[in-house]
Amino acid sequence: MLRNVMVGLLAVLLLGAAAVAADEPVTIEFWHAMSSGHQPNLQKLVDDFMVAYPHITVTPVYQGSYSSLQGKINAAVAAGNLPAIAQVYENWITPLESILYPIGPHMAPGEAEDIIDGLVPSNTFNGVLTTVPFNKSIMVLYYNADLIATPPATWAEFYDVAKSLTADLDGDGTIDRYGTALRPAANPEQFLTFLDQAGGSILNADWTEVTINDAPGMAAIQFCGSLIPYTFVTSEYISDHIGKIAMFIDTSAGYPYNLTAANNAGFQLGVAMLPVGPVTQGSMIQGTNLAVFDVPNQTQAQKDAAVLLARFMLRAENTVFWATKSGYQPVTKSAYELQAWKDFVAANPYQQAMSAQMLLGFSQILHPNYGDMRTVLSTKFDEIMRGAVSPLDGLNDMAAEIELLLEE
Amino acid sequence: MNDAARVREKKPRRPLGERLRELPARLNPVASYRRNPTLWKESGTAYLYLLPALAVLSVFVFYPFFSAFRISLFKWGLLPPRPYVGLANYQYIFHDKYFWRALWHTLYYVAVTVPVTLFLAILVASLLNKGLKFLSFARTSFFLSYISPIVAIAMVWRWMYNADYGLINYFLSLLDRLPFLELNAIQWLNDPKYALNAVIVLSIWHFVGYQAIILLAGMQNIEQQYYDAAKVDGASGFRAWWHVTIPLLTPQLFFVFIISLIGSFKVFTEVNILLSGSGPLRSAETIVYYILRLSGRVDGGTQHLGRAAAASVVLFGIIFALTVFQMTVTQRKVHYQ
Repeated sequence: MLRNVMVGLLAVLLLGAAAVAADEPVTIEFWHAMSSGHQPNLQKLVDDFMVAYPHITVTPVYQGSYSSLQGKINAAVAAGNLPAIAQVYENWITPLESILYPIGPHMAPGEAEDIIDGLVPSNTFNGVLTTVPFNKSIMVLYYNADLIATPPATWAEFYDVAKSLTADLDGDGTIDRYGTALRPAANPEQFLTFLDQAGGSILNADWTEVTINDAPGMAAIQFCGSLIPYTFVTSEYISDHIGKIAMFIDTSAGYPYNLTAANNAGFQLGVAMLPVGPVTQGSMIQGTNLAVFDVPNQTQAQKDAAVLLARFMLRAENTVFWATKSGYQPVTKSAYELQAWKDFVAANPYQQAMSAQMLLGFSQILHPNYGDMRTVLSTKFDEIMRGAVSPLDGLNDMAAEIELLLEE
Repeated sequence: MNDAARVREKKPRRPLGERLRELPARLNPVASYRRNPTLWKESGTAYLYLLPALAVLSVFVFYPFFSAFRISLFKWGLLPPRPYVGLANYQYIFHDKYFWRALWHTLYYVAVTVPVTLFLAILVASLLNKGLKFLSFARTSFFLSYISPIVAIAMVWRWMYNADYGLINYFLSLLDRLPFLELNAIQWLNDPKYALNAVIVLSIWHFVGYQAIILLAGMQNIEQQYYDAAKVDGASGFRAWWHVTIPLLTPQLFFVFIISLIGSFKVFTEVNILLSGSGPLRSAETIVYYILRLSGRVDGGTQHLGRAAAASVVLFGIIFALTVFQMTVTQRKVHYQ
């Protein structure tokens, strides 16, 4: 009897201690690169989080541009003073996989499944959801609505519209208006989008073979090649030349800049979903994720708190709040069902296309050498679109160079 | 030998032992001077003054340099393992065509930017030295281009260079109206032929003011007596400028030359902001851009820190060799007043 009482007392004591431990005050740092315009909204989310979890204090730390944030994270890896949680690009953390604290295993049932399908692979290391998406944008079609009444819905229509709107308006022998524009050096994601739409990929599923120059890749590059005469190929921002371009594929994050440029150039800017390719209507999603670090300077309580914060940001109402304020897109499926988001889309028609496109999006692979593969893509895509090499030769060069990177 | 020394010589000879004790000092004055306790007191104080600068340099220059050299011998990742690879990183960059292209772009940039900037700076400084009415206004205006942040400058120039709406092409279109000229709009930032040249023009504009101010300060320090003497000898105007101003300005010219040479080898921000990348067909990728690309800091590349370190050691070698050459060869032509 006495023994039972003692065991019971001990159990109560232990549980009590655990309860106290769970609520012990904990402070974490959240490193980000969201500049002043975004900060009040980020702070509001953090404040809401601290109300929901009063024992956790979150200190958001603005680290400057993305490049500075990357530099600070790299330095912190060396110095051993990483924060509990940070905003990161995929390529920054592929070398840091071993010190990431996986968020997925600590999620409630259904939470991970709620993330948009296209965003899961780029946050999953070895089958484990490790990071979670945060601020995401997607490629959509921007068009001059004064010239184009109905945006093209297929590749063939895209080609026809591009061809018919390319014109030498003053008859001086130079083209004054291009059907479309590409920014191949800075934005090889434009090619990757065509590749995905043709049903292709850079590598096979287990990353053992280069598949970029298989039949879908050839279809994609030949389509790009057919557009060369009607494409303004530039390394500058497309918005810097928007007046002479009828339509172009660009990220949704560029909307404010494209809108201002279109207003200055005196035309109505339209936003549509991308034309459908031979296989899909996919589009590439880009942007940062949230990573929790598993390093000695972070206690278990701090890691737990960081996981809670990451999960809090994924809640439908929060990802919607962030999207409506920042111009990025919500990252969970349930967010798109939320009335607040539907109201926002209804009030901002351009969001309709972005929203619909987002649910068909895909994102980059987490191969450790993806950064170099992207450099190969951008260099060769630029050469192809500028006529320095034929589309098929350029594609085969891409494949050969990526093959070498695979062996590294 | 001056008079005082001659007077001393007439004094009676000192004993041989005393003179022998002085012999080492005569043969090797420095070594004996070092044994002098007062010297240690003096130079100790000097070293104390140097210490803060040395400490800062050690932490931020010497240590990073040796560290970069060490890293260049490893396959260096953010996290271990970091296997020793010998000279493999150097082999990689020497076999990378983009390294040689970047080197060529950088040399071209330096070969144009440095002499042209210096020439224009001498011209501007000479004009300012003529005693303009609004000298301080003119001086400030020229200096303004230098103290404005390079990012802001590059953004403004990006618009001036814009092929469709830019100021520069607008002026070209005005010239085009002349009957004997045939000028087309130029894609300054989007044509591999022009992209690097566009950066060069921006850099020259940016640095001319700074160099001119330093040269102007040098010119204003040249004493009037030299010009008076030249006048007596019948030299005036251009000849006085050529034979008096320029030779006596060589210390400042030398300083400006070295500083701009080293700075030009390190060009990056101008390229990155003006061209939003390394330019069409990577036509303006410079060495520092290449280093940052290998380290994954631009263009979202994979982080090959060992290769990036190897490339930066090579850049150091080039700058070091050129600076030593200048210090030994060019400095002979420097005249101090």
